[in-house]
Order: sequence, then C-alpha cells, then structure tokens
Amino acid sequence: MKFAHNFIKDMKVSFKTFYIYIEILMALIFVAILLFVVPENFSSDINMYAHIDSSLQSNEIVEALESDNSSNIILLDSMDEIKYMLEEDRNSIGISISMVDQKILYNVILQGYESQKYRNIIEKSLIAEGIKDLPEYGSNTNIVTLASSSERLSDRLNMLPIFLLLNSAFTGLFIVATYIFMDKEEGTIRAFAVTPAKVWEYLLSKMGVMLVTGLLTGLITTLLVAGLKANYLHLIALLIATNLFGTSIGLFISSFYDSIMKAMGAILVTFMTLAFATTSYFMPSFNPIIIRILPSYPMAFAFREVFLENPDIAYIYSNVAGFTVLAALFFLWSNHRFKKTLTV
Amino acid sequence: MIKVENLFYSYTKDSKYAVDDVNFEVAKGEAFGFLGPSGAGKSTTQGILTGLLPMQDGLAEVAGYNMKNPSRKMFNKLGVSFEQSNVYGKLTALENLEFYRKLFDVETIEPNVLLEIVGLSHVANKKASTFSKGMKHRLTFARSMLNKPELWFLDEPTTGLDPAIANQIKDVIKEKSKEGSTIFLTTHNMFIADELCDRVGFIIDGVLKLIDSPRNLKLKYGQKLVDIEYKDGNEIKKDSFSLIKEEERLKLNHIINNYEIELMHTKEATLEEIFIKVTGRGLV
Ligand SMILES: Nc1ncnc2c1ncn2[C@@H]1O[C@H](COP(=O)(O)OP(=O)(O)OP(=O)(O)O)[C@@H](O)[C@H]1O
Ligand SMILES: [Mg+2]
Repeated sequence: MKFAHNFIKDMKVSFKTFYIYIEILMALIFVAILLFVVPENFSSDINMYAHIDSSLQSNEIVEALESDNSSNIILLDSMDEIKYMLEEDRNSIGISISMVDQKILYNVILQGYESQKYRNIIEKSLIAEGIKDLPEYGSNTNIVTLASSSERLSDRLNMLPIFLLLNSAFTGLFIVATYIFMDKEEGTIRAFAVTPAKVWEYLLSKMGVMLVTGLLTGLITTLLVAGLKANYLHLIALLIATNLFGTSIGLFISSFYDSIMKAMGAILVTFMTLAFATTSYFMPSFNPIIIRILPSYPMAFAFREVFLENPDIAYIYSNVAGFTVLAALFFLWSNHRFKKTLTV
Repeated sequence: MIKVENLFYSYTKDSKYAVDDVNFEVAKGEAFGFLGPSGAGKSTTQGILTGLLPMQDGLAEVAGYNMKNPSRKMFNKLGVSFEQSNVYGKLTALENLEFYRKLFDVETIEPNVLLEIVGLSHVANKKASTFSKGMKHRLTFARSMLNKPELWFLDEPTTGLDPAIANQIKDVIKEKSKEGSTIFLTTHNMFIADELCDRVGFIIDGVLKLIDSPRNLKLKYGQKLVDIEYKDGNEIKKDSFSLIKEEERLKLNHIINNYEIELMHTKEATLEEIFIKVTGRGLV
C-alpha cells in the first residue's frame, strides 16, 4: 500500500519537524493555564444594591434578606449610596423602594449597557410582583427545565470544548498547508509526482498526520483537565470527524495558492471566522444566524456534550456523520484541484 | 519513445513562449542531448514531458502515453533526475531511496547498490539536509535509477559536480545507454553531450534550431584548423589556417617549406564552437 508507506514517511518527517511539538506544547500550556490560573468556577454573580425607604422597612424584610446567604443583595441607606456602589462595581444593579403619596415607588438603577429586552423583563417582573398580592391573583408560574441545558459544566471544563475545537479539530486547517508548502519548497512533491503513486495517496497521508496530531493533543488535554469526567468514545469519534473536516478545508484552501504566505492569509481569515462561534458558545443568548451557520458552532456544542453526565448522543453523532461527509467531499474536491496544480 | 509535435508552453499563458513550436522524436534506445543556454526552455520541455507541467498546446507522446492525459502507470517506465536536487532533508540517504522505491509497481534496484554507484555509501545513514549540494545532486540522480527506467530524463546531471565525480556519473549514464535505456539528457556540458549522445538538439529562446548527430555537425560546421608557430629570422610567428580553403592550404604549405617549424597541431571544432556558430550565442 503506497498510502501506508507515504503515511509512515510523513509521520517520520513530522516528528523531525517542530510543528507537532508546537501543537503539543500549546496543549500543555493550555492545560497549565486551565489548571493553575483559571479557577474551577468564576464568580460572576451579579450584586444587587438595595435601598428600602425607612417607612417601609420592617424587620421581616431585613430578616428575609439575611436568612439567605447565597444571594448578593446588599442593603444601603440611600439612593446616592447605590449610585456610588454601582459605579464601583460595574457588574451590579440597584433598586430603591420608597413610599410616595401612599404609593410604592420602585426605582431600578441599571448600568446602561443592559439590553432593552433585559429592561423589559425587569419592568414586567416588577409589575408581576406588584399584582401578586392582589386577592384575585392566582399564581401560574411554572418552572420549566430545558433538558439540554440543564447540566452545567464547571467554568474550567466549559473552556475545554473551545480548545478542542480550535487546537485539535482545526490542527489540519492550520498546519496542513505548512506541510504541503514544505514539500513544494523542498521540491520533493515533484519527485513524488513522477512516480506511479497517486495524488490522493499523498493528500490522504497528510490528513493522517494531522489526525494523529489532533488526536494526540485532544486526548492529552482532556485527560489532564477532565480526567475521567469525559466520554472518551464520543470524544474520539468527534475528534476524528472534526479533524478530518478541518484538514480537508486546509487542503482545499491550499489548492488555490502557490505560496505559503498567500495561503496563510486565507487560512487565518477562515480560522478567525470559524473561531467566532466561540462567542455564542460563551454567551448562548447571542446567536445570530451568521454564527449559527458556521460549522464550528455545532462543533463546539457537540464537544460540550462529551463532558456531560447525560450527553445528547443523537446530537454528537449527527455531528460526527455530518462532518465526516463534508470532509470526504472537500477531500475529493481538493484532490481534483491538486491533480492539476500540485507541481506547477 | 518520445514524440513531440508543435509543442508550445507559456508560463504566463500568453504569447511569451518558453517553448515555441518545438518538434522532435527520440527513438527507443537513443541518447538524445538537449543543449542550450540558460533560460532556453530545456527544463520546461522536460517538465512537460514528465507531466509536471500541464500540456498547453501541441502534441507529446512519451513511452506510448499521450501527455494530454497520461496514466500514472507511465511512471513505472520513467526515471527523472532534476536540475535542482529534491530529496527529503529530514530523512537519511538510505531512507530517501527506501521510501521512493516503494512507490513503484515494478522491480527496483537495491538502494545500497545505487549509493555505491554514486559514491554516497559512506553517508548512507546521514540526513540528507547535512549533505553538500553535489551530494544531494548525486542522491537525486541515484533516485532516478531506482526503477530501472526504460526512459531516463536527466536535467543537468553533472552540473555542480567536481570533474572526477562528473566523469563517474557520465560513465554510469553511458553504461545504461549501452544496456538499452533511452536517454533524454539536458546539459550545458558539450563534452559530455559529445561523448554520450547519438543526436543533439540546439534550443534557444524556446526555439529548437537544429538536430543532428555530433559527428555530422562537426563534419558540416567544424572546419579543421592548423595552429602553427614558426621562426622567421629571430622572430617567432603564430598563425592559423583552415585545411578546407585552398588558398590557406597553399599558404601553410609555403610556411612548412621555407621556415623552421616550432609547433604545429590540428584542432577540431568542439560542439560548443559549433553551437556558437550555428546560433550566434554562447552556451551560458
Ligand atoms: N516557474 C516559472 N514561472 C515563470 N517563468 C518561468 C518559470 N520557469 C522558467 N521560466 C521561464 O521560462 C524560460 C525557460 O526556462 P527553463 O527553466 O526551461 O530554461 P532552461 O533551458 O532549463 O535553463 P537553465 O539552463 O538555466 O536550466 C525562461 O525564460 C524562464 O525565465
Ligand atoms: Mg534548466
């Protein structure tokens, strides 16, 4: 099998070049940062500063506030103090409740960056709060738990899917071009081209090297950060499919260029665009269509499933299948293009 | 073995042709020399004939395959040595050849035997990146012999080698030629072309000016000259006469009869001189 010989040779060469070590080093640096710098969970709770008019203040309110330590409601003496604290602590909101002309007046003080949606919610919930005490009010609040997002990962684990996406799934996207242009530079690609071996054998072998590199970094990182809190079967399936996809895109882009500099420009733009999906990953409420159509969007969430107690198997494997098919298509397309341009 | 008709090639895909309406044929077992100054289009022609450059216009048939749409199988019959050596620097000389031989479907020569032939046995297990230019070039040359090619493309196989090694390489080519390999040899070295080639082609600016055997070319263009030094009184005089022109022959006769001859030798025109004469250009 010429492909196998080619692959063995490429692995040999790759272990003698530094790219594979850079990839592994990056994985280790990431692990170190996650384990020693990033806390298990960020404290990103919002503080609420409250002022309640003395005429309204009762012991019951104060007691109610003090009984629960988990909430971050801090009682202050005046509206001005609230404003001062809000300026100091940008991750907070304020509320003042006072009595004016026998009416209860709610003043909500926000930072200004909150969206209109958020403002509306606050307003509506205050109104709801108000009518709750009317005699004819019947509570119809339901608590609905969304099955898929009910499980929460620790903040540390929550970052792992992004690293797997950018470093392991997209290994090939980023460096397969380097390998190809190294062969072009060295001229060995021309020597290969005058043998009976086929272009697809050459390309597939490069894919193999990228796959080994991606699996290596992905597994090292996951083992060190998540330990046994991951489903390795799903992880490997996902890594394989997404890594093949990434490399096939890398090959495809490379097939348009005759120098590494030009190809790298296009690859960087592609990589940045794909990396954009991470914003939606960390802020699930921000998911415009432009981000949802990026292949990296479902990838990130599929990687997340790997770390859940009850992963959504269907979601993971529809990703595996989808990206495998896409990888095959882009591989064939690249092969078709390279047949004409590999040695020119 | 090779048939080329109205071959054109332009890197810029316009009318700036690097190969301009070239026609020639190379018979099975023949050694064909492709000569021309730098930038003449020699490597471009070899590139098209080995499938590294796409066919643009014209017809090219190599080892029975139409180069418009050659089969990968064709390369089992071909050996290609490149003007710029191209081996895996990260692999040793031996690893380079071991890997390469596995890409062929036909019987191959033991890499160690080839390394011996090109004088690289002592560095067989050294990384090619540590090699000198000449060593890399010899490894590239050795690699082209792995599959015992029926048709052997050699792009400047001796350029950059010291004379002793160049001579060794020339002998290897000569032997293969005797064994029946067809050879397409690109070179600047007229002595090697003269010695090895059954026929040579002169190419300049992409245009093939002339094809003939070295012997015919010499008969046709090379006038035999006699250089002579003689004593005229106390003075030593030098002169040069053509043996073809009647008038000069008589002059020479006159000198031989009347003066004391110090030195005299006949000189054959070299292929290089003929090249300059035919094309009006030097070879470099
Ligand atoms: N990759 C390329 N892109 C553009 N032009 C090229 C390229 N390669 C060669 N050329 C041009 O094509 C012409 C023929 O070049 P070629 O390499 O065939 O010459 P050559 O006869 O092999 O010369 P040399 O003896 O220096 O090797 C030259 O004018 C050269 O500048
Ligand atoms: Mg050349």
